[in-house]
Amino acid sequence: MLVTVMAIVVAACTGGSVEDDAQTTTTVATTQATVTTTAAPATTAADLEPIKLGSVNSLTGQIVFPEASAAAKAVFDRVNREGGIDGRPIEYLIEDDAADPAGAAQAARRLVEDEGVVAMVGSASLLECAVNGAYYAEQGVYSIQGTGVDPLCFASSNISPVNTGPYLGYTVSLYFASEVLAKENVCALIFDIPDFRPAMDAAIQQWRDLTGKELAFSNFTLQFTDDVTPFVLQARDAGCEVVVSNGLDVHYIGFMQALQAQGIDDMAWVGLTSGYTAEVAETLGSMGAGSGILHVNSEFEPFTLDSPVLEDWRNLMTEAGVPLTSFAEGGYLAATIMVDVLEGIDGPITRESVSEALLALEGYEHPMIGSPYSFGDAPAHNPNRASKFLRLSGGTWELATDDWVVLPTG
Amino acid sequence: MIDTAIASLTSGGAYALLGVGLVLTYRMTGVLNFAHAVVGAFGTYTAIVAFEAGVGYGAAMILGVAVAALLSGGIGVVMARWFAEEATIVRSTVTIAIFLGVLVVGFRLFGDTPRVVPALLPGVRLEVGTVTLTGSTLLSVGGVAVLAGAVAWFLAKTRTGIVLRAVSERPTTARLLGVPLRTLVVAVWAVSGAVAGAAVTIIAPTRTNDYASLAILILPALAAALLGGFQRVGATIVAGFGIALVELMGARIPAVARYRTVVPFLVILAALLWMQRKEVWDEAR
Repeated sequence: MLVTVMAIVVAACTGGSVEDDAQTTTTVATTQATVTTTAAPATTAADLEPIKLGSVNSLTGQIVFPEASAAAKAVFDRVNREGGIDGRPIEYLIEDDAADPAGAAQAARRLVEDEGVVAMVGSASLLECAVNGAYYAEQGVYSIQGTGVDPLCFASSNISPVNTGPYLGYTVSLYFASEVLAKENVCALIFDIPDFRPAMDAAIQQWRDLTGKELAFSNFTLQFTDDVTPFVLQARDAGCEVVVSNGLDVHYIGFMQALQAQGIDDMAWVGLTSGYTAEVAETLGSMGAGSGILHVNSEFEPFTLDSPVLEDWRNLMTEAGVPLTSFAEGGYLAATIMVDVLEGIDGPITRESVSEALLALEGYEHPMIGSPYSFGDAPAHNPNRASKFLRLSGGTWELATDDWVVLPTG
Repeated sequence: MIDTAIASLTSGGAYALLGVGLVLTYRMTGVLNFAHAVVGAFGTYTAIVAFEAGVGYGAAMILGVAVAALLSGGIGVVMARWFAEEATIVRSTVTIAIFLGVLVVGFRLFGDTPRVVPALLPGVRLEVGTVTLTGSTLLSVGGVAVLAGAVAWFLAKTRTGIVLRAVSERPTTARLLGVPLRTLVVAVWAVSGAVAGAAVTIIAPTRTNDYASLAILILPALAAALLGGFQRVGATIVAGFGIALVELMGARIPAVARYRTVVPFLVILAALLWMQRKEVWDEAR
């Protein structure tokens, strides 16, 4: 009896405090948006009407994506410092959805209907696409997503993310494991996020279709707070030569710790871009784990390397105080594409003319991505089909592939 | 297969340690302590924060256990001072309030993002045939053995142990006989807090943790203690290891793998039904 009460109390309590958080944050977000509003137009062309762009982001809550919009803002601030687009400043409005569907829906309506933004750019949210994809289609608003996360980011006519995302990214990672590392027994360990399951299944099916190969072993039931040891042992017992897994950055550390504890050093591991952080390398380096075993996928030019391609990005981010991460690359890239689109428009810049320009955008090349970005009028968009892979070596990342691993189409 | 069973020993040991802590506070002070695991989690997170701030690893972990002991001792003071004469149900309900309080304060202090905890004995590995025993496993199982031995000896062989059992059954009578009630009760709480801190610290490096998921370790601990009838230390230990084993083995069976985290609930439910089987019959008559 007491136990049941306890369980209910626990459930109620956890829920309560999360909600609390969400409420506090909405206030924070509004303040932030206001700050942006007042700060942006302080440029030369004060009397010309600003071009309004919006973004919906998960800035507070358990999993946050603050870098993409911050990076996009840095790009637009520079454009404004240099005189704007034909003299018109860009007003970039950043909204927080607190990873809450209602918050995401309200944020989009505020931006589209109240503010009248011409387009969305640089958004990075846990659920924004799922909530707002249909709304954008209905309103004729297009979004260059900075970080697409939920499956609908890659299945909407009005959203085209610059990143590969966790699904096609998983296909590329499997492809890298079987074709580039040329391992025989490829296995999959996947965290169980019910809403993402069909997209993950499709991602694996795409790899099967491309290579004609089968997974030697798979387990789709990992929970975020599991002890991963039994799964690692299962993979070893199944004779896996390489395991491809999803997860947050901390999970890759967990996997490598488990491999180290079990003394397994002949099984390669491939993770998604979420594992590609400087902290993962440093932490594993200090533990002496995962060296030569862990590979991660970089959907953009790898930011930990001293690549000349990233010079402008690096300088701008450092100047604006934005952390150097893949997310910041996505935001920078989305904003850069948007600036080029805006500059290419003859005549007045309105929601209609921007939409038209995006629908005509095909084959946009940029050295930070390995396959051209496009928007166009397809019913779904996932243009970034290329990744570079890094291997952990001691406490640093080194290139595992010099060239982009590009997923063949078809 | 055997490896998986061995891997479950770390979690099992931690469940058993937490379960034994529950049994101890129940037997000796007559409180079903719902705040047990959250106190341990608070200590562990203090250790993590200290470690991240540059305190040495060993010192940080000891600090964490000490904080858990202090916090739990503080709860003991509250219990001894204001709730000594209350019924078990009242005192246990007070610990639910404390559980929520510590949970919320911890949320504010530590946030809800998962953290990485370095392994306790990263280099230690014992190979027995094809089976690997890790440092965490050895610590966990060793901790259980030491605790079980100490408890058995303390309760059966020392005067204080016998006095404590008397206190739990008849607090007023014990006090009239000159037993320093408060000191003893607070000491029991502090020790049980230290054990909780150690248990959570042992289990923390083996999984990806956030503060709340560590606090929820109370569920398997309660299930284990319930199977021990809140009386028998030995049965609680066996139950702790058993629950962890069932959880991990569940991961190997695709049909049930997704639902294996509800194992403690099923155990609790089954145990309650089994224990109530006669009473239902009696009342129905």
